[in-house]
Amino acid sequence: MLFAQISFWVLAVVVVASALGVILFRNAVYCMLSLILNLLCLAFFFLSLNALFVATIQVLIYAGAVMVLFLFVVTMLAPGERIGVGQSDPLRWQWGAGIGLGVILAGALTFAAFTGAIASDAQALGASQLSAQVTASGNTEAFGLALFHGYSFPFEVTGLLLVVAVLGAVALGRRPTRERE
Amino acid sequence: MPLSAYLTVSAVLFAIGAVGVLVRRNPLVMFMSIELMLNAVNLTFIAFAHFLDSVDGWMFVFLVLTVAAAEVVVGLAIIVSIFRSRNEIDVDDLKTLNG
Repeated sequence: MLFAQISFWVLAVVVVASALGVILFRNAVYCMLSLILNLLCLAFFFLSLNALFVATIQVLIYAGAVMVLFLFVVTMLAPGERIGVGQSDPLRWQWGAGIGLGVILAGALTFAAFTGAIASDAQALGASQLSAQVTASGNTEAFGLALFHGYSFPFEVTGLLLVVAVLGAVALGRRPTRERE
Repeated sequence: MPLSAYLTVSAVLFAIGAVGVLVRRNPLVMFMSIELMLNAVNLTFIAFAHFLDSVDGWMFVFLVLTVAAAEVVVGLAIIVSIFRSRNEIDVDDLKTLNG
């Protein structure tokens, strides 16, 4: 129990710090690396919540594939913020307003989490004995059973969505080269 | 750890992502902030799946992951094509989408 608490707090601190790094670093590549650290720590959170398979696909797909794509584009465009060192930011009040709104949002969400209305409402909906299924057949099997039995239609729609995304990326990517010829 | 602890971490992450979208003007960093918000919601889903003993949270995380991947692919393609035509990316300059 003590180990669980220590790991939770360490992970919580690293997750929040790396999330702050994403929005505070000037260089987009640093933001990117900070985001990868954030996603890896979230995978450890998922592990601590007994979601082994989800943690694995979080590392493989998110921290792996999606972030490599991101890193390619970030290093290709290499954009810094255009505001120079001596130059003053014309929209400095944006930071104050944004941080104020963010604090209000975090406070409201935390208040909702602590008043317990969300948890008790959800508890009333009933459970589907996930932990029993995991001990009976294993983590990945429980995931697969649920995916192909209860969620087979959303899974198929997911395939359609990915095809549309690939076609969109191809169409967007080849238009300028065709114009140049 | 109780459910509310995970929900609090998730709320803080979501708020940081929202602030990032509001204050940064580099569209790539805004995209990263959107990823932050998506992952905060994923953490909420996994926490609820654990504490309610229900598999639905895992399924939603799977679907969110897929949608996020598709969104990143299309969004980055748009950003790259804007960069090709204008040689700079700053959302202050992109008032219209006609390139």
